[in-house]
Amino acid sequence: MSKQKKTSILCIRCPKGCELKVSNNKKDIKVEGNECRIGLEYAIEEIKNPVRIVASTISILNSNYPRLPVRTKDTIPKNKIKKVIETIRGVTIKAPIKQGQIIIKNIANTGSDLIAERDMERVKN
Amino acid sequence: MKDVVVIGGGPSGVACAVTLFDKGFDVGIIEINEELGGLLDQCIHDGFGTKLFNEGLSGPEFASRFIEKLDKSTVEIMLNSFVKSVNPSDKTKEITCITPQGVKKVQTKSIVYAIGCRERNEYEILIGGSRPTGVLTAGAVQRLVNLYGILPGKNVIIVGGGDVGMIVARHLFLEGINNIFMVYPEEFFTGLPRNIQQCILDFDIKFQPQTIVKNIIGSEHIEAVELVKVDENWNPINGTEKTVKCDSLILSVGLIPYSDKLEEIGAKIDSYTNGPVVNEYFETTVNGVFAIGNLVQIFDYVDDAVETAFIAADGVEQFLKNKTHKKDGFINLKPGENVNCLTPQRIDKFLDEISIFFRPGITCKTPKILLINKEGKILKKFSKPFVRPSTLENLKIPLKIIENEDEVSLHVKAKED
Repeated sequence: MSKQKKTSILCIRCPKGCELKVSNNKKDIKVEGNECRIGLEYAIEEIKNPVRIVASTISILNSNYPRLPVRTKDTIPKNKIKKVIETIRGVTIKAPIKQGQIIIKNIANTGSDLIAERDMERVKN
Repeated sequence: MKDVVVIGGGPSGVACAVTLFDKGFDVGIIEINEELGGLLDQCIHDGFGTKLFNEGLSGPEFASRFIEKLDKSTVEIMLNSFVKSVNPSDKTKEITCITPQGVKKVQTKSIVYAIGCRERNEYEILIGGSRPTGVLTAGAVQRLVNLYGILPGKNVIIVGGGDVGMIVARHLFLEGINNIFMVYPEEFFTGLPRNIQQCILDFDIKFQPQTIVKNIIGSEHIEAVELVKVDENWNPINGTEKTVKCDSLILSVGLIPYSDKLEEIGAKIDSYTNGPVVNEYFETTVNGVFAIGNLVQIFDYVDDAVETAFIAADGVEQFLKNKTHKKDGFINLKPGENVNCLTPQRIDKFLDEISIFFRPGITCKTPKILLINKEGKILKKFSKPFVRPSTLENLKIPLKIIENEDEVSLHVKAKED
């Protein structure tokens, strides 16, 4: 037991928020602290392939605001968040932009596009 | 003259205006900012709309679902307009507002207030020391960062373990601030579990429970804070003070319904919610004046706030069509044991089923939730798998079981072991 890696995860599938203790010895995954099956499934998914939506902002010219909110269209692997953020940083685009418009295709090779969260009208030349 | 004017162009206000337009009324909406969307403009993270649209949208995406409908309608939209005063007389109500075209007077038969909430600030919680620059509320930081790209500093201390504080911590981290430290007086974070995981644990953001800021240090700009540990009653423990350097302090210490404007026109304010006293249609104690969204009480999900807009739209319709087939009298609904606040506070017997929202005062599994009359008789038992103060709960009460009472109260009791 002592050699196993134990990870603590907070279950986010319902407001109860069980604290899950997950031990992973490569062969099988053991979950403790879950009060239902959903928690078990969540813990296994979180250990095998945790995914997230990443939202941030990029610089935009000629618009009402200097920042445009953007996000990944689909979930991306959690370990790629840093890569996505590094790719976003320093990107500048020009208004007008439409909501849902693709800003960066297949960002950081995640398979997901980076899209604009809102319209941004052109207000300056 | 308008049938109804909505004051406030946030998600609840816009949803209400659209719904009233669809019902065939002549509607106006007044917004103080240059665009509609309210708080959601700055909430760029995902997770909005899971109840209403069954998908996780960002704030601007959620807002645009309703704004697009409003843009296609003939609702009169007044942007950059500030409501100076309101005359809520029974027949014709008059709103005086300051617009880019000058002072305007708008006549209307009814009004829906949707002006949301405000953040508590350093003057409302006990923080000692000086008042230098660099002390900001979390909402202000969110706006500065997400719309203007202005960061508050490089060494940030966040006070408060609720949702807003956690979300701001993540944004700051993703914008390149590595030195973030959160403190809060409770034993554990008070926000939603998903935010604890996805905002704090995912990025290893440092935090210290049972700690508050005792003093702010700095003459012109903030230089440091003096932290102190607290016991379970939030009393500082002498000798545990520690000074930590920082260049900004972000306060995420709660939201309060912005009910001052309603108080001005004579609406009764509830001391539990800090919002107006409303009936099941979200009508205030002022005839024909309704209140919705975070102005009524603080909602965890925008979906729930928008739900109040839909219910109030039915109420406005009822009011405008002068239908009065309600039963005589009204019922006071009061928060009882372990209920921090609830709405509606008053039931006017309009609807067969009343949707109530309440905030539990305790954390416990399978609590007994009881509706009790003045004589102590249990009228109905409800069950929930789990309650905690950070999650606003919703119940549907059939009018039938309470219609002969004049006062009922809601209680949450921990299950006996």
